[in-house]
Amino acid sequence: MVAAVGLQGAPYLSYVERKRRRRVNNWVIAACIAVVLGWCIWDTVMVDTDWARMGGALGIIGTLERFFWIDWGLVPSLIVPALETMMMATLGTLLGCVFSLPVAWFGAYNVTPNRYIFYPLGRFLMVLSRSIHEIIWALLFVGAVGLGALPGILAVAMRSVGFISKITAEAIENIDPKPVEAIRAVGGNQFQVMYYGILPQILPVVIGTIIFEWDINIRRSAIMGLVGAGGLGLVFFRQMAMFNYGGVTLVVLAVLVLIAIGEVISHYARKAVI
Amino acid sequence: MTAISADGHMPAPVRRWSRYKHPRSTIRFAVLIAVLAFLSWSIAFLNIDLYRIIGAFPRLWEILATRYFPPDIDYVLDDSFLHSVLRTIEMSLLGGFFGVVLAIPLAWMAARNITISRRIAYPLGRFAIMGSRSIHETIWTILFVTVLGFGMLAGTLALTVFCVGFAGKLFADELEAIDMGPVEALRSVGASNLQVFQYAVLPQIRVAFTGIAIYTWDVAFRAATVVGFFGGGGMGWYLKRTTQQLENTRVAAILLTIIVLVLLAELASGWLRHRIAKMR
Repeated sequence: MVAAVGLQGAPYLSYVERKRRRRVNNWVIAACIAVVLGWCIWDTVMVDTDWARMGGALGIIGTLERFFWIDWGLVPSLIVPALETMMMATLGTLLGCVFSLPVAWFGAYNVTPNRYIFYPLGRFLMVLSRSIHEIIWALLFVGAVGLGALPGILAVAMRSVGFISKITAEAIENIDPKPVEAIRAVGGNQFQVMYYGILPQILPVVIGTIIFEWDINIRRSAIMGLVGAGGLGLVFFRQMAMFNYGGVTLVVLAVLVLIAIGEVISHYARKAVI
Repeated sequence: MTAISADGHMPAPVRRWSRYKHPRSTIRFAVLIAVLAFLSWSIAFLNIDLYRIIGAFPRLWEILATRYFPPDIDYVLDDSFLHSVLRTIEMSLLGGFFGVVLAIPLAWMAARNITISRRIAYPLGRFAIMGSRSIHETIWTILFVTVLGFGMLAGTLALTVFCVGFAGKLFADELEAIDMGPVEALRSVGASNLQVFQYAVLPQIRVAFTGIAIYTWDVAFRAATVVGFFGGGGMGWYLKRTTQQLENTRVAAILLTIIVLVLLAELASGWLRHRIAKMR
């Protein structure tokens, strides 16, 4: 499992010798992992944790207990934020699809307009979108367009561009080139090649990916409220600020319900597409 | 309308080809209309101005260029910040490791073909994985910070839960795709569940699991960069401080650091996964 370190350098070794070296190698790697993990645990648990302030096991149980008195009175005021969260996820996914069209076009090696300028640009945009966390995107967009649902939608969209366009670009790279050649041969222009040659081949994969991403975007848009966009995250933030831990639990439950609804819808949608 | 032809037969009606026949085509149309209606309702309900969407990017660019532009690199090279980067890496390692370790038995329970019992263990494993996946890692962080106080412990636990959900789902999918032949062979000679797992399942999935574990660490590192934003320790704390003090050049430097580190982590994990896939 972990024996990845060089065995290639030494030819003409007997089987027993190779096996012995491999075992030694495995032990060395396991020991290294153990040392690193031990040091991490020591730094986390001993150095950085303030055990006295936590108040012992009783204190922790006391805090936990406050989460269990669920504040059911909050249910009516959760409906509109839950709807907002759902809408934010849907619009964000839609906008993400729109943004990922050019990115996928640039980043697919066989259809990119220019292999030296646009192809690296497309790849870079994919990596950039995936490597920045949605919270950071939301912070940037709250600065740019102000509070409300819009920065949340834009953040969700930017974050989903990377995944959608990466899968789409890979699907475009793996298409069967024959229909494309056939359409070119009968004189189809660039648009007709894309619309009739490429699109039908990649559509099932792309739509499946979009549905999957929508499912993930629901849980992303549920936290956008923490940094100033609307939705369930805002209610979570307010309940937290009021130390109403029962309400916090209820919001978490509401998120779970939303995700379950999303999972059911995406299950049927995926079945309909594939 | 229907002219009778010379030999007295009705002409065949003109048929137009369509991919979907009557009930399915109507259902598809209705679903499409419903989705479009929901989209336009959401645009109206959330009060989205399309001009603001188009204008957001020039504005973002302008803000980045004028307020964030010369990134304060000295701030990033400061000792305390570098220490927080180290702690971020530690948290991601610990969260990834314990997440993967916990995810393996849960995935075993949640894989339909080899689960211990379909009535009890299967729903339990599914629910545990789905529950930890559904709640975003920042919410886990806030909850753990509330209970355990600020610091790396809360962040590490939040990352652990996140990794359980993430790796558990991939592991369970991988387990459901294994070749059942060896499993049945071992069961038929009376091996226990643990022996079946050790000798029939583990050899089939070892390489794939290692790859998934490395990928999980990569994703956990991405999450670890912002866990500190909500009090979980690591570099996110500096991000929060500088954002709230509006020290935008420092924010820019921290963001650049995050992008570079995530890229490095992605390269490292890609390289490792490539090497492991070659050993298959």
